[in-house]
Amino acid sequence: MSKVSTENETTIQKTHQPLQVAKRLEHLQKDRGGASNLNDGTINLGRGIPNFDGPEFIKEAAIQAIRDGNNQYAPGKGVSDLNIAIAERFKKDTGLVVDPYKEVTVTSGCLEAIAATALGLINPGDEVILFSPSYDGYVGNFALAGAKIISITLHPPHFVVPIEELKSTVSRNTRAILINTPHNPTGKMFTLEELNSIAALCIENDVLVFADEVYDKLAYDMEHISMASLPGMYERTVTMNSLAKTFSLTGWKIGWAIAPPHLTWGLRQAHSYLVFSSPTPLQCATAVALRAPDSYYVEQRRDYMAKKEILVEGLKAAGFKVIPPNGGFCVLADHTPFGLENDVSFCEYLHKEIGVLAIPCSVFSLKNPEEGKNLVRFVFCKDDETLREAVQRMKKLKK
Amino acid sequence: MEVKLSRAAKKITSSSIQELSHLSQRCNAINLAEGFPDFPASPHIKNAAVSAINSDFNQYRHVQGLCDHVAKMAKEMHGLDIDPLTDVAICCGQSEAFAAAIFATIDPGDEVILFDPSYETYEACVTMVGGVPISSTAFYVVLCHFCFWDPIMALHIHVPLDPPQWTLDPSKLLRSFTDRTKAIVLNSPQNPTGKVFTKKELEIIAGECCRQNCLALTDEVYEHITYDNLKHISLASFPGMQERTVITSSLSKSFSVTGWRVGWAIAPAFLADAIRNIHVKVTDSAPAPFQEAALTALRSPPEYFESLRRDYQSKRDYMIKLLAEVGFKIDFIPQGSFFIFAELPDNCPLLDVDFVKKLILEAGVVAVPGQGFFNTNLPSTEGSNLSCFYQKRYIRFAFCKSDATLTMAAERLCKLLDAEGHLVLH
Repeated sequence: MSKVSTENETTIQKTHQPLQVAKRLEHLQKDRGGASNLNDGTINLGRGIPNFDGPEFIKEAAIQAIRDGNNQYAPGKGVSDLNIAIAERFKKDTGLVVDPYKEVTVTSGCLEAIAATALGLINPGDEVILFSPSYDGYVGNFALAGAKIISITLHPPHFVVPIEELKSTVSRNTRAILINTPHNPTGKMFTLEELNSIAALCIENDVLVFADEVYDKLAYDMEHISMASLPGMYERTVTMNSLAKTFSLTGWKIGWAIAPPHLTWGLRQAHSYLVFSSPTPLQCATAVALRAPDSYYVEQRRDYMAKKEILVEGLKAAGFKVIPPNGGFCVLADHTPFGLENDVSFCEYLHKEIGVLAIPCSVFSLKNPEEGKNLVRFVFCKDDETLREAVQRMKKLKK
Repeated sequence: MEVKLSRAAKKITSSSIQELSHLSQRCNAINLAEGFPDFPASPHIKNAAVSAINSDFNQYRHVQGLCDHVAKMAKEMHGLDIDPLTDVAICCGQSEAFAAAIFATIDPGDEVILFDPSYETYEACVTMVGGVPISSTAFYVVLCHFCFWDPIMALHIHVPLDPPQWTLDPSKLLRSFTDRTKAIVLNSPQNPTGKVFTKKELEIIAGECCRQNCLALTDEVYEHITYDNLKHISLASFPGMQERTVITSSLSKSFSVTGWRVGWAIAPAFLADAIRNIHVKVTDSAPAPFQEAALTALRSPPEYFESLRRDYQSKRDYMIKLLAEVGFKIDFIPQGSFFIFAELPDNCPLLDVDFVKKLILEAGVVAVPGQGFFNTNLPSTEGSNLSCFYQKRYIRFAFCKSDATLTMAAERLCKLLDAEGHLVLH
């Protein structure tokens, strides 16, 4: 049974007792405790962990790398072949040519890229703008860096960027804006118009962009656009991605950050003292993964679209008001037709009575948990049968 | 755009070890610098990883069994009672465990005591939370100025170990504590000296920690690599220490898999919890298939560890003999780890960095200049001060290399011997 909490942990009072944890932890929310593998028959559509495995050809490559003896420290910035493969892929995707050794850094997952970027490029007190709702992994890292987080709410049903509000928020004190596209949890994809508006503000105010693009290959209704590819933006953008979502290997922890040399230098310093380097044989395999033929990506997108269809239609049939995602593998659904008090109580009910796990959207709210109380998040990175079973169970929901 | 870097990132310089590695690659030198094996890891461990990948252990996961084994090992080796459910945090290598421990415990304004020489990363971690290195000799003079300029710092205080035996002078340790001391960092067996802190020394450190009510952060990655029947003793096993110690260690050195990135922190529940919290924020999970393989690794029979020690000891003995014969001063025989901290002969006029550069270019062998392990933020004019001169006269040789590699290194060095059989570089 997972415990879902949106409350901050009570802080540990700092006294003259030295045996206390650091003050910075007071700002970190505790992990929400969403269990990944439940043994009680519950269908877990909560955390974004696939219940199918990555492709054989990548796993084989990792095994070969282990057998070939690639088991010692990789250079901190990455195994050379992977740096090259990342640069090649980035060129294919965006048209941008980057130096694999000076502008590409391999990290231990995209999350570590975010941590290294925050710690390497943000000073205590710097303002960082985050859109809310947002993946709950950002705040902790910016808190570690001592950033002042300013959140701007994206409102349902379309989660359009409120550009006027953003204009009045961005100032000379703003150090960076974080953009996650395709977006978790909303499934939104930032449009060219939105990105252009944000870019103009960044250039005018000398602001960096931290772009989390882990779902870039799961774009359904529109093309994914990298902020770094817009005029004037490469020089001020850190583009982050990983193996996890594209290749269904969330436990391998191989990610990367692409940025101009002066920004790369900063994040590399932090990276080297956070983890020193990333798992070597898995890096070798990732290089193989990134050279997968286009057909892999086409097929995968097709498979995920089919899964999206199963879940979205199933949720609608069950009585939810669904916000179909443009990308990623999450979908937000309005649970209010079922008459429960809020998202947390709905998720508890869904778990106990229906045997399906979802995540209350208030968990993703940066400003005010009330903003998310009508919505819950389901993931569809599960095999088709599991999704169909979940949808079947949810038919029992009473309006 | 330079201003966009964080203050912390600007202070840290890139690893001197990695830079020399590049030069040595260009010269195709035999690498006795970097501290990782060039021989394969044990088949039983590699097979376990292969099996994990094939069995679909590839998604984010927390392997509780790994905590169980870590706790069991701590009990067997040190008599520590560890609750695997609350006292163990699995991290991406000892590196992340240590970084998380620093983030979890050190605030700006806190002081952290480090021994000198020591692995350069500890200092850099403290710097990352807003620190500035201050050597203990300059400490009293400089401290006041720094505090007034910029009060939001964590400070490293370095306690020099006395050459040539790298002994701990208790009075130097005692002098380093202030009421702002938050923690002491202890690496034993030690990189770069190969020192294994004695029971007496550990008692002194433990006694002071308890008396001053501060934390201890230990790096015990070489815990299974000790020589001459010496046993590694964890600081946490002393009275009053378990409740204030974070032990960090990993698979890397014990199982020759430095590239797998599986490590852990053992600490009282509230600290382990804080460390786990930070780890989850920074990386979310250690690599899943290697966590699984770690179960097999940590279940290795005693024979595995005995043969590890035996093999490393024979490599140590070979290298000591070689280096002594060609003229290095080996006043201290390493008791643990896989490093020899050799002093340049008295008649050699060179400092460590120049010596190593010549060693690469003329002998085709690379090692690490020792000065990077010492903490001197004295102005350069004071660098020639005799009392600190020794800090530029040591070379660290790694012997975690195959016998073939060590033999080839010996052959290359022996090509440059003079009539007395001593190494001469021009």
